[in-house]
Amino acid sequence: MKPALIISAGTCGLARGAGEIVKAAQDYQSKRRLQQKFDIIITGCHGFCEAETNVVVHVDGKQIFYQKLRPENVKDVIEKTLLREEIINNFLWSDPKTQQVYVYIDDIPFYRKQKRILLGNNLHVKPECIEDYVKLGGYSALNKALKEYQPKRVINLIKESGLRGRGGAGFPTGKKWELCRKMKSSVKYIVCNADEGDPGAYMDRSLLEGNPHSVIEGMIIGAYAIGAREGIIYVRNEYPLAVKNIEIAIKQARKRGLLGENILGSKFSFDITIVRGAGAFVCGEETALLISIEGRVGRPRPRPPYPVEKGLWGKPTNINNVETWANIPAIILRGAQWFSSIGTEGSKGTKIFSLVGKINNTGLVEVPMGITLREIIYDIGGGIPAGKKFKAVQTGGPSGGCIPSELLDLPIDYESLTEAGSMMGSGGMIVMDEDTCMVDVARYFLNFTQQESCGKCPPCRLGTKDMVQILNRISRGEGREGDIELLENIGGNVKRGSLCGLGQTAPHPVLTTIKYFRDEYLAHIKEQRCPALVCTALISYVIDPELCGGCTICAKNCPSNAISGEPKKVYAIDQAKCIKCGICVSVCPDKFRAVKKVSPALT
Amino acid sequence: MIELMIDGKKVTAQKGETVLKVAQRYNIYIPTLCYHKDLSPYGGCRLCIVEVEGWPLPVASCTLPAQEGLKVKTDTPLLKDLRRFTLQLILSEHPHACLICDRKEDCAHYMECIQKAPITFGCKFCPSNNDCELQTLVDYLEIKDIPFDFHYRSLMVERYDPFFERDYNLCILCGRCVRMCQEVRGAATLDFHHRGPDTLVGTAFRLPHLETGCQFCGACVDVCPTGALRERYGKWQAKSEKSVRATCALCNIGCSINLNIDSEGKLVSSTPDNNQICVRGRFGIVPMVYHARRLTRPLMKKDNRLVEVEWEEALSYVASKLDEHRGKTGLLFGSHMTIEALESLYRLADDLRCSIAAPLDIDGKGEPLKLEEFKDESVFLVVNTDMIRDFSPLLLMLRMQSKIQSTIIVIDSLENKFTNMADLWLQPKPGKEFETVSLLFGRGKKRNTTGISHETLERCKDILKKRNVYVLYNPAHSRRIDVPKSVRTLPLYSSINTLKICELGTDGSVDDILKKKTIDCLYAIGVLPRLQKGYKTVIVQNCFPPPFEFDVFLPTVTFVETRGSVINIEGKVKKVRRAIDPVGKSKPDDWIFQRMSEILKYDIKRRRPRQRKKKLSRVFEDMGTSKKYPVNLLVRENCYMYQGHPLSSLMKGFQRLRDDTALWISVDVAKKLRIKDNMHVRVISRNINLELHARVSDNLPENSVLIYNHPFLGVDQNQAVRIECITKETR
Ligand SMILES: Cc1cc2nc3c(=O)[nH]c(=O)nc-3n(C[C@H](O)[C@H](O)[C@H](O)COP(=O)(O)O)c2cc1C
Ligand code: SF4
Ligand code: SF4
Ligand code: SF4
Ligand code: FES
Repeated sequence: MKPALIISAGTCGLARGAGEIVKAAQDYQSKRRLQQKFDIIITGCHGFCEAETNVVVHVDGKQIFYQKLRPENVKDVIEKTLLREEIINNFLWSDPKTQQVYVYIDDIPFYRKQKRILLGNNLHVKPECIEDYVKLGGYSALNKALKEYQPKRVINLIKESGLRGRGGAGFPTGKKWELCRKMKSSVKYIVCNADEGDPGAYMDRSLLEGNPHSVIEGMIIGAYAIGAREGIIYVRNEYPLAVKNIEIAIKQARKRGLLGENILGSKFSFDITIVRGAGAFVCGEETALLISIEGRVGRPRPRPPYPVEKGLWGKPTNINNVETWANIPAIILRGAQWFSSIGTEGSKGTKIFSLVGKINNTGLVEVPMGITLREIIYDIGGGIPAGKKFKAVQTGGPSGGCIPSELLDLPIDYESLTEAGSMMGSGGMIVMDEDTCMVDVARYFLNFTQQESCGKCPPCRLGTKDMVQILNRISRGEGREGDIELLENIGGNVKRGSLCGLGQTAPHPVLTTIKYFRDEYLAHIKEQRCPALVCTALISYVIDPELCGGCTICAKNCPSNAISGEPKKVYAIDQAKCIKCGICVSVCPDKFRAVKKVSPALT
Repeated sequence: MIELMIDGKKVTAQKGETVLKVAQRYNIYIPTLCYHKDLSPYGGCRLCIVEVEGWPLPVASCTLPAQEGLKVKTDTPLLKDLRRFTLQLILSEHPHACLICDRKEDCAHYMECIQKAPITFGCKFCPSNNDCELQTLVDYLEIKDIPFDFHYRSLMVERYDPFFERDYNLCILCGRCVRMCQEVRGAATLDFHHRGPDTLVGTAFRLPHLETGCQFCGACVDVCPTGALRERYGKWQAKSEKSVRATCALCNIGCSINLNIDSEGKLVSSTPDNNQICVRGRFGIVPMVYHARRLTRPLMKKDNRLVEVEWEEALSYVASKLDEHRGKTGLLFGSHMTIEALESLYRLADDLRCSIAAPLDIDGKGEPLKLEEFKDESVFLVVNTDMIRDFSPLLLMLRMQSKIQSTIIVIDSLENKFTNMADLWLQPKPGKEFETVSLLFGRGKKRNTTGISHETLERCKDILKKRNVYVLYNPAHSRRIDVPKSVRTLPLYSSINTLKICELGTDGSVDDILKKKTIDCLYAIGVLPRLQKGYKTVIVQNCFPPPFEFDVFLPTVTFVETRGSVINIEGKVKKVRRAIDPVGKSKPDDWIFQRMSEILKYDIKRRRPRQRKKKLSRVFEDMGTSKKYPVNLLVRENCYMYQGHPLSSLMKGFQRLRDDTALWISVDVAKKLRIKDNMHVRVISRNINLELHARVSDNLPENSVLIYNHPFLGVDQNQAVRIECITKETR
């Protein structure tokens, strides 16, 4: 392979300025007529968000990883590294903890412990270029399936592999396909669920942007196995780049006879259309999604009948998540045994998580099932920034649960997460440090699900609203005796009484924070104290007279003139005037750090 | 056949049947709220949840298809808890003082007489008290308190539309009204707004219903389990005590209705009887029966003054006059009365040698419309007829009969709700509707002057080729349509009993009688002709006063105050019932004829009426505008009539639906002549000269005006006219 500059240009990379990097590189290349010397490869996301905008310099079979580049650095990178194989230390990634510097991408701890079966190819394919995908063995799985396997055999393979749905509930994929295949109907549909509504989750986007053909190939194989002629990718309109890349990919696949009539000369015909969703969280729920495709307002309906029995337009419909589909080609090519050798007893293969929050290495991580939370957070994620202590991790998106530090050694699979009161969900993972108030967190997530509730069934529509109100009053210091029990009671009933998965899981953040951090709730209710010093109503800002240097900066910056004192002497905050904006904390010079938060609030 | 267990009992189910339906069949009670037998299951309220052995969570039984071997439990402590929780939550959003007050029982005692007290008294703030499904559920689930904070939505009550009001503070979002309006009525006026805790029901952009596709059928009101949707009339009436199953005689469909009577024998409301009805039957009957302008005592002119008289005096006078004018009496009658009364009328006319006529346009033999005939996959080609306004229950029956596969094509130069919902709407130039039909069937002249493009016509022809085609039209304003033999034409007569009158025949049209020189006594029964000359005696028999002078007035009853039968468009004989006593001293028509024959001393019962001339079809002329008469006048029948009175002149609500007594003017004509709404204008043609108030409408084609005709206007067909302005804006 020719030397190449591989630029990470997914949506997040572009937001950080990857577009300018690309332009700088292309300008330089054409000005110097270096087209023969090296390639510029614009790929989807490389997964390491913290290091955006990053590039991988491919020279001499090695892959050098540069992070946080700016357009003016591009010239150096090309001249020195690409053309002369010189390493530029300044651009290398260094571990914030150990200060150790890494040159090659494979050595970086963030990548080293991952198993990037799905995401790995993001580094090697230009998303709009089917040839790249084919070069890496793309569509040979389809060829194999069509030529060598009967549909039944494909389903058996998927069943043997132990693949479970990556969209949330973890339903065995092979079994779902089989159910759909067995339905008697001349028309069947398959759907790819790319709604991805969890805040902070973007693995599906990254797959569709970076490697759309892998999803399409998975869908074609699935359609062949199930006996569907039409497929739909339901993707939210907020993912314009993903939409664009799938559109291109579908066109290319049609051109090559991979979609359309008589695929690869077989008797099997299949095509895919894209439906764009308006971006409601609840439209990720499968029945709401189907109704939305039909052009009506996305509101879930009770199951059974399940979509495999009565789905789109009343016909049997098989829905799978983007990541589920993307796993299919690999399973067909490498075999069920290979796949089921990865992971745990009940959960096979890898899972992509979006690791965000108070963590050093934010990014998309693909890990084998069964890895522990500790490994993800400390080894891959690089631990908590600024020397703070880990407090909890929220898995499974807004309707998942908070898992405390005691459970850091929990192996990650569907069952153990559920047992801990949380869930796999679609793979969001939000890390929280000691400065996080668990009441506040629960309130935040519940507020989200409450607003995203479709409003159809009373337990979810009204139960979550009541819970939010109780949480609001607790965080205002107006919590009542018995509120915790009331929350548990309502939460339990909402879980059992709601129509769809949204309501059935919405109370998780509250129930798990109560389960693992009951003391914090009690402190709010009984002592009007917020131990993490977050809930505004329960804290006060005070100036420590021992530390105050009398520099006057805080007094000058206070928007409400609440701080007074004489220069060079100790300053004080008038609690009656203080509006708790926290500006004084941020402006107090590091050498003093005299402004402190205390709880309960001073009166 | 599927076998499953419900509460330990072995039950059998049909394929596709839900567990709820099976349970109901076996008399196992499961509480429900969003479920309604006429609507598709929704599964939203979560009250009908049941437990299934081996399933992790309870499921809604109203949507759960029965499956072989299911073991269902409908009443467990968990279910009771969850149902209670859910209902308590629902009530945390629904004013509930009436539901859980600890004095509920004592209070109930005082509620009956509440009309006599100010409405703020006690807990009588809900229009639906005693008539609310929540009350039943609260009792069943033994709810005594609501542990949650109360959220009041603080919405304005929507009072700006006619007939019914909407207080969405009481709405529990069961979605029944939404499904009724969308699935059953096809009106799609109501839907959900927003989501989550802000979810609301209403029209798009919260527009008034008058500005939406609402048919004011009231079907939504009738399925609402709470007081959120309420009929305006009778909102504060006492609860009805009994219902009388009767027939609505306001149009030729003759829908079955329930007449609901309170403990004092007063009619409170008229509601559908497991069927779909229209705004006339749902909201028109009660206010008409108790109308302030209704005359309920006989009147006679004495010394040029109208005075109240006793029936005997009035009837002897009328009998003597009829006797005197034997052979010279013109008897005009409407079709509102019972068949029995009609037959008596014919015998009376035979005896007195009256010339008789009814304001009907009868085309052909007057054959009944047989719904069973319609096949699946039909195309209904409807010409110049707004089936939503005039025949909505029939339209729903047609659709049901021909299943989903039917296609509706409308040919109409006017835009209305029906043209908007049709599968295909062909809008020819005014007056070119029949040419369009001929072209579609490849008949008539070849040149296309309809204004419809060749492509559209071809597309339409393609549809017609493949299916069974039925042409539906209203003979009052459509000539007989020229179609091939394979196509059925079905006239839609708008007035009840038309088939009976076809059978009995008449002596010509109303106009023929009015023009007859020899006639010097006019007897108008439930019809208001446009008089063209003076008469020696004018006798009026009606519920409401006529707009012309008369000598005697005989007050008749409406169809809810008498018994007998009527015959509808399908040829079905249906019963009208005496649900209430005649208002005031009014009397049924057949009683009047009976008494009259007694005074005239002949036996009305024995004779069969003489057979009269049958056909009554008219010649329709082409419009042909000229310099003198430059504007196209389109004429449509006003099908909202009773005893010769447009409902819109009797009831404000109907006037707001559509001002039927106005001259409707297209925007361009109005602009040219500087005419604004409510100005008085004169319409002049070779045949007519009328003064009307104006209404400007953008639903009319260019250069046209429109009249909704009824006998008193006497404008029976399209023609070229001239418009003159009389006054500046009035009112
Ligand atoms: C509120 C809610 C939101 C959901 N959102 C998504 C989503 O964004 N993407 C997704 O793939 N599945 C989502 N699901 C799960 C889907 O309903 C469904 O289970 C999934 O698409 C099935 O695919 P799988 O078998 O491949 O997991 C959601 C479920 C619920 C209840
Ligand atoms: S649980 Fe929530 S989102 Fe799901 S149907 Fe009920 S209201 Fe809608
Ligand atoms: S009155 Fe009839 S048409 Fe109007 S909103 Fe109600 S159901 Fe719909
Ligand atoms: S208005 Fe009545 S019928 Fe309609 S959703 Fe509300 S409660 Fe149900
Ligand atoms: S009646 Fe079944 S959910 Fe409402």
